[in-house]
Amino acid sequence: MEELKRENVYVISISLGLVLVAFVFITLGNMYYKQVEDFSGLIDAVTDPVVLEAIWISISAAVCSTLIAFLFGVPLAYFLARKEFMGKSVIEGIVDIPLMIPHIVAGIALYGVFMRYGLIGAPLRKLGIVITDAYPGIVVAMLFMSFPYLVDTVREGFKEVDPRLENVARSLGASHWRTFREITFPLAFPSILSGAILSWGRAISEFSAVLIIAYHPISAPILIYEKFTSFGLRASRPISVLLISICLVIFIVLRMIGKRSRKK
Amino acid sequence: MEIRNILVWATLTAIVCVSAAAFYTPIAGAQQAKTVRVFHAGSLAVPLAEAESQFEALHPNMDVQRESMGSVKAIRQITDVGKRADVLASADYSLIPGMMYPEYADWYVRFATNDMVLAYNPEKSKYAAEITPDNWYELLRKGGVVFGFSNPNLDPCGYRSLMVMQLAELYYNDSKIFDDLVLNNTAITISEDADGTFLMTVPEDPKPNTEKVSIRPKSVELVALVEEGGLDYAFEYRSVAVQHNLAFVDLPEQIDLSRIEYADTYRKVKVQTADGKTKTGKPIVYGITVPKNAENPDMGLEFVKFVIGDAGQKIFADMGQPPIVPPEGSGNVPEELKGLVQLELVEPTPTPTPTPAPTPAPKEPGFEAGFAIAGILAIVYLALRRGKG
Repeated sequence: MEELKRENVYVISISLGLVLVAFVFITLGNMYYKQVEDFSGLIDAVTDPVVLEAIWISISAAVCSTLIAFLFGVPLAYFLARKEFMGKSVIEGIVDIPLMIPHIVAGIALYGVFMRYGLIGAPLRKLGIVITDAYPGIVVAMLFMSFPYLVDTVREGFKEVDPRLENVARSLGASHWRTFREITFPLAFPSILSGAILSWGRAISEFSAVLIIAYHPISAPILIYEKFTSFGLRASRPISVLLISICLVIFIVLRMIGKRSRKK
Repeated sequence: MEIRNILVWATLTAIVCVSAAAFYTPIAGAQQAKTVRVFHAGSLAVPLAEAESQFEALHPNMDVQRESMGSVKAIRQITDVGKRADVLASADYSLIPGMMYPEYADWYVRFATNDMVLAYNPEKSKYAAEITPDNWYELLRKGGVVFGFSNPNLDPCGYRSLMVMQLAELYYNDSKIFDDLVLNNTAITISEDADGTFLMTVPEDPKPNTEKVSIRPKSVELVALVEEGGLDYAFEYRSVAVQHNLAFVDLPEQIDLSRIEYADTYRKVKVQTADGKTKTGKPIVYGITVPKNAENPDMGLEFVKFVIGDAGQKIFADMGQPPIVPPEGSGNVPEELKGLVQLELVEPTPTPTPTPAPTPAPKEPGFEAGFAIAGILAIVYLALRRGKG
């Protein structure tokens, strides 16, 4: 009876869970199906240098943004996971703010700071670095909108690593840095990878904030929007299908890597 | 967690979702104010919002519901999608006879205008203290000055900005204005035709030199950039500059696309956008009508009367969209409006008998709700059974 009950829980969880999977699958499947009917449109998109460049800009800028989020976010997440201090919830709140503000508001705020007379934009311009209406602007917008996913996920990952393991390592003479490198980081790696994937995916899809701070060079979501506005669904769908397909492949490959590292 | 708990949570979730949905779905048959549905151009959103609140104060039993979108899209909603609106207001009056005559409308009223200005920020824009309608093009050329216009492929304000810069060449007798401002900084090209007209061609990606020219999809987005100071000058509609409290250079009437008197001058400039369509320069004049398939044509007409009447004229004057006084009617203008408008002295086009609009089937009273309730009952039943077992 007990066993049967447990099986029942699985049956219920899969049948409820499948609703969400079907939700995504039907929506995207419908889009793919319509695209298959217009296969030549897809071929045109795949061979159009403008489309390929926009997709490349999006993917590479999202990688840059994720690397920056990784560099600064992992230490922050480690600290937040291990230390209690005054104002911790304030810091955690600040980190999560980008998740809740409307993207267009974030874009305008970023523009104000990074434009030529802005607080950060002005000194950077003296060094010859232009952020607005340039590639770095896309990275900045993506970073702002996506790093909380990395920090939050990684923080939970670090929390799951038992501090006693760290204490054992340190009592055996390992330095704090070595403990982090050889014990904590590898044990939290699945969460770190997961956070990086989430943050990367969120970065790729960013539209409104990018639009305000750097409309040019044209990234994929902006190209899709432009095509949709001036030529309609027929012109925008192939680019969307292409972008989603590329991202899907990358997602699956990364998740497989994550699984293998977990097995080790 | 016990299965029972899970099921209780599922039930609660379902109840919350369904009651929220029920709350926001108007229930058929309930007592409601009569609605006047208005489809209008985005640039009319602010004055029509004001008109709506004043109109509703005058007529407490009426509820004006506005939908703001591009003019062409608004008309397509009626002619192609088959939606029904009681009022249609377009940013380009000629779209009404062009796209709606004779099946969906047979009259319109020209009631307000707009024009192109060069907006700036008096505190932050470079040379803001010196700029005048006579030297703006000199200042835009100067090094370090960044200016912007919206994407001509996506926003009529964008191709009108190009028209203004080319008309400026003719008006100020300086054949280098367009070259210095647009040609040298973007991938947009220009050619002169034998008949003295100019055709500007906008590629899909205008590729602006972003050190000099900023492009955004819609002109209102440039407002934020000018306010922040990242952009010195932006081509905008007068209404946008007024409504966002930006300072602006009031460009000469010969180039600002405002006057029907200069229609022949404006016609000399054309812009071909990336979709292959060619737009010819013409005055920006708003038109309004009651579509033939209106559900409440009487109330639609009532709203039109208000918009083109004294109160409406005042709103439009305050919002930077100067009203046409008296408004100019064209076509088969309804009797009630004839006292308010000056009729065009053109034979109205004979209109075929209107095709009777199909009466829409009354909405089925929420079968979704029934579905949801059945679902909840099923879950509750399961939960109870589980609890017993």
